[in-house]
Amino acid sequence: MPTPTLLQSIAITLIQCVLVVLFVFVVVPLTVFAERKVLGHIQQRLGSTRVASGHIGITGWMNRGMWKWGRIPVLSYWRGIPGLLADVLKLILKEDIIPAKADKFVFFIAPALSMVSAVVVFAAISFVPGTFFVFPAWFPGLGGLPVSGGIADINVGLLWILGVASVGVYGIVLAGWASNSKYPLLGGLRSAAQMVSYEVPLAISLLAPVVLTGSLNFGEMAQRMATGTSAWGLVPQVFGFLIYLTCGFAETNRLPFDMPEAENELVAGFHTEYSGMKFGFFYLAEYINMTVVSALAAGFFLGGSWLLPFGLQGLVNQLLPADAWIAGPHAIFFVAKIIFLLFTYIWVRGTIPRYRYDQVMSVAWKYLIPLALVNLLLAAFVRCAV
Amino acid sequence: MEHFIETIGRNMFAIFGVMALGGAAVVVASRSAVHSVLAFLFAMLCIAGCFLSLEAEFLGMAQILVYAGGIVVLFLFVVMLVEVSKAKEKEVFQLQSRYAIGAVLLGVAAFAAVFRKVIFGAASPQALVLRTDLAQGLDVAKQNAQAVSRGLFADYLLPFEILSVVLLVALVGAVVLAKTERV
Repeated sequence: MPTPTLLQSIAITLIQCVLVVLFVFVVVPLTVFAERKVLGHIQQRLGSTRVASGHIGITGWMNRGMWKWGRIPVLSYWRGIPGLLADVLKLILKEDIIPAKADKFVFFIAPALSMVSAVVVFAAISFVPGTFFVFPAWFPGLGGLPVSGGIADINVGLLWILGVASVGVYGIVLAGWASNSKYPLLGGLRSAAQMVSYEVPLAISLLAPVVLTGSLNFGEMAQRMATGTSAWGLVPQVFGFLIYLTCGFAETNRLPFDMPEAENELVAGFHTEYSGMKFGFFYLAEYINMTVVSALAAGFFLGGSWLLPFGLQGLVNQLLPADAWIAGPHAIFFVAKIIFLLFTYIWVRGTIPRYRYDQVMSVAWKYLIPLALVNLLLAAFVRCAV
Repeated sequence: MEHFIETIGRNMFAIFGVMALGGAAVVVASRSAVHSVLAFLFAMLCIAGCFLSLEAEFLGMAQILVYAGGIVVLFLFVVMLVEVSKAKEKEVFQLQSRYAIGAVLLGVAAFAAVFRKVIFGAASPQALVLRTDLAQGLDVAKQNAQAVSRGLFADYLLPFEILSVVLLVALVGAVVLAKTERV
């Protein structure tokens, strides 16, 4: 492999950034689509499980056919796509309204802060073990150069993720303040308090796997989980994982904890005054954050990002020969874990009703933080014992 | 082109430093308290950039996590609640400006007193050197977090614990003040 020059390495990094943004713009609409469908089935919402083009194309033909045969075509996967398309079109085409008394600059910068902090987190997450692909020799300027699976494989990856994600709270708080109206302000204040409190147990619960593996680097941690004794993997951080997931729901303002936008109390919370693509940025940021939380959970609690979950990898490596396909790390396991956790997000949203605001705060301070501390202590004992 | 990028890379510290100073200037000059907090956030992120340009990754990330992610959020929280009217706020700001100038001068003097050897003398700032038994098997340039933790919890354990007690005193003091106000 030739070593890239400075300009070439900058170009490669830019290409990686574009790939990450593309990944985000593929994953988010798919998650929104899945959310509509799954919620439609859980809560018997009719639109998203049935709407399809009734007139044109293969969907319309099959739709008409199934009705004709006396069947309700609920399980056809394309159903709900027109709704999704209409939603995306609406986001892009809708008029961008700025309230007359809003603080223009802050109003403008708030959705950008949300979006940027959500996307930049991906810098420390490597999707593919080792080299992602090698440029073919004919490629102008970059022929034969490898592109690694993560943008920046830094030593303190976990801290980067936590730090940048914690900047995301400004987007919500400033949006609430800049709108200059009552409900957004209340939503912003709620989110400031909620996100700052849930950050504490979130970070502590993430520390337990760090203590167990002794690394803050995303890729290195996965490697140590693979090569370490299977005893660590077989005693998974169940409590840590549950605490982390709860805090993850709160950090992304998803349903049991969606205080900042509680529809029945605050109209739409912090983004009441937003419309068009500015609202779209908040929407995107929420789903990107969900993906980030899922990716972190996959890496830290489900047995390293590219391996089989629950310590199965240790067993597989002992039973099977080392050159078996399943014995190595694979990006597909990572993606599968992310998809499963995103489904969990939707599942919980469809199942558990919203907390009251004081309950949200007491859950964080009175239960989750002590539990997370005890969990960390146990992890430290395990580390000492092994 | 390549030369240009390399020059920028070498001077990253100066660039981030100037940006941080600019942010700090906006904090003082801004009329709206929320804008001040935003500029403060910007300055904090730039200081994190300074740390990163010195390859102190752990410190840079801790800077973002603690200051940008925690403390400035609380500032914002308070400022959003306190901000009542523009006129009143202006008055408070003008009242403070005299003391502010004095405080800045005092701060500069204190800073110069501490770093006078570095600034005026020939002595160069000394890098943190771990005890040899601690540094064993550690690549300090690459394992930043580990190096800092070994220094903090072995070489400098007593100052570190004293600092935490000082912080605790501040916390208890805040609680006491809040209590007396409420009664």
